[in-house]
Amino acid sequence: MDIYLPIAGMSINFFILLGAGGLVGFLSGLFGVGGGFLLTPLLMMVGIPPAVAAASDSNQIVAGASSGAFAHWRLGNVDFKMGLVILIGGIAGGTVGVQVVKYLRAMGNFEFVMKVVYVLMLGLVGGAMFIESWRTIRRSKKGDAAGGEEMGGAKLGQIFQKLPLKMHFQRSGINTSALFPFGIGATVGFMAALLGVGGGFIMVPAMIYIIGMPTIAAIGTDLFQIVLTSANVTLQQAWVNKTVDLLLALTLLFGSTIGAQFGAIAGRRMKGEQIRILLAAIVLILAVKIFFDLILTPSDLVSLAPAKGGGH
Amino acid sequence: MKRLLTLLAALFLASSGLGLAQTTAPADQQKVVTSASKHLIEIGLSYHGDQIHFFGVSPVRDCDLIIRLTAEKSEEVKLSVKGRVGPFWMSVKQYDVTDAPFVYKIHSTKPIEQIVSPETAQELELGYAAVQKKMKLHLARGEAAPDDADKVFKGLVKIKEEANLYNIVADPARLEIAEGQLYKHYFRFPPAATEGRYVVESFAFKDKQLVGSGKDVIEIKKVGLEHWLTDVSQNHPLLYGIMAVLIALGAGLLVGMIFRKGGHH
Repeated sequence: MDIYLPIAGMSINFFILLGAGGLVGFLSGLFGVGGGFLLTPLLMMVGIPPAVAAASDSNQIVAGASSGAFAHWRLGNVDFKMGLVILIGGIAGGTVGVQVVKYLRAMGNFEFVMKVVYVLMLGLVGGAMFIESWRTIRRSKKGDAAGGEEMGGAKLGQIFQKLPLKMHFQRSGINTSALFPFGIGATVGFMAALLGVGGGFIMVPAMIYIIGMPTIAAIGTDLFQIVLTSANVTLQQAWVNKTVDLLLALTLLFGSTIGAQFGAIAGRRMKGEQIRILLAAIVLILAVKIFFDLILTPSDLVSLAPAKGGGH
Repeated sequence: MKRLLTLLAALFLASSGLGLAQTTAPADQQKVVTSASKHLIEIGLSYHGDQIHFFGVSPVRDCDLIIRLTAEKSEEVKLSVKGRVGPFWMSVKQYDVTDAPFVYKIHSTKPIEQIVSPETAQELELGYAAVQKKMKLHLARGEAAPDDADKVFKGLVKIKEEANLYNIVADPARLEIAEGQLYKHYFRFPPAATEGRYVVESFAFKDKQLVGSGKDVIEIKKVGLEHWLTDVSQNHPLLYGIMAVLIALGAGLLVGMIFRKGGHH
């Protein structure tokens, strides 16, 4: 069964799109990541033009994330206060990031720099998460739960304790200066703009390890944040670039909204460290894949130049 | 009466215009009478390409035929070329390609070079060599190399052939000729062939001379939902963006609610 996508200008099997949406929706519900960093390459692989893939992807994420955020909100996993402070930081960092990207683009070969940063970034985040969650799993197997290793960001958190604008984040059970989550949001927002992604896969580990939020609250809060940022991106893409394919997005979201529900349910049945080790594995696989893209001889030396605008 | 005269005058002008355009053998030029199984392709929800059968009668017995499908619109393509820098592969230059046809398909009874001289092929734009000569490359980024033109053109043809937008078939089996004069064949319009007007031209050659030509115009257009979505997205982009966000939000919340009612513990 084929469906013709009006903006992409191509026909594609309906069930391929449904499956891709379902898979990414499941991951988004489970990990609280937008899933864009997986879906955009997936769509490009089946032949959808990069600009349309990225733009329609963000449209689909609005639905997938809102469904996931709703499920997490019902389960009491969204720290709205924390989410808003991070979001404000994210917008500030993102705005600066977009300008830096513009400058780097003008200098040429931005794409290559981006990929190298990507590999380092993903390798670092994925590796650190993998080791930490693996240790936790081993420790809990031995029954030695009392260990309680010092989190890497705890010291940083203590410094921020002394700064002004102190706030109490009830859901996360954290008492700290608002500048702390704002700073994290700004840093991640900046990198997200640089890498052309929504940043969920950086944000969730940052919330867990640096801010010290409980895994499930970090995921719920991140989803809430993603709804707002991806809605903004969709609007901009439709308005400025005219590349949002609503039919493509609707098909994807049909799959992803359902996938997200199963993801949220699966998330409740799994332990925090199990979710983390899975996310770490996916992030690491992606890092390896991009690394090989950089060093293996491409099958076609001449290709259609990538259009402006990245994934999420 | 006056109307009829105007019409006749217009026809005369049109046919003389045609004669001027094809200077190869104006004296012997005749019309190849052609027909198509349909002239309109509608893109609906389940569209996945279409094919159209073409028929024609060549003016002279046992002549060679070259039939070409092109689009009326032209497009600008941006192609990036990868190169090795140290251990890494990166895009080292970019070319903006203009005057390359969006669609280019040819059916011929024999390989083109056996039917026409290179000069005539160039003049009538028949064959990849002619396309390459007409195509213009503009280096947008990086440093040019002597073999770039060939490399970029081959890359473009490969991309286009994979999308089934370019191909050249010199096979009598694909272009059947009955009684030495009546021919039939079909062109496949791939899903990548977007809205617009497409031209199918038939050229008849005898002893490397053009003896006749004919032309059919095919239109592809979107209908229904496909047409509406394209129209709103291109002409009212802000409205379209707001609509896209609201629909996505609504759908997400709706599914969230359905699942909460159905499967909450």
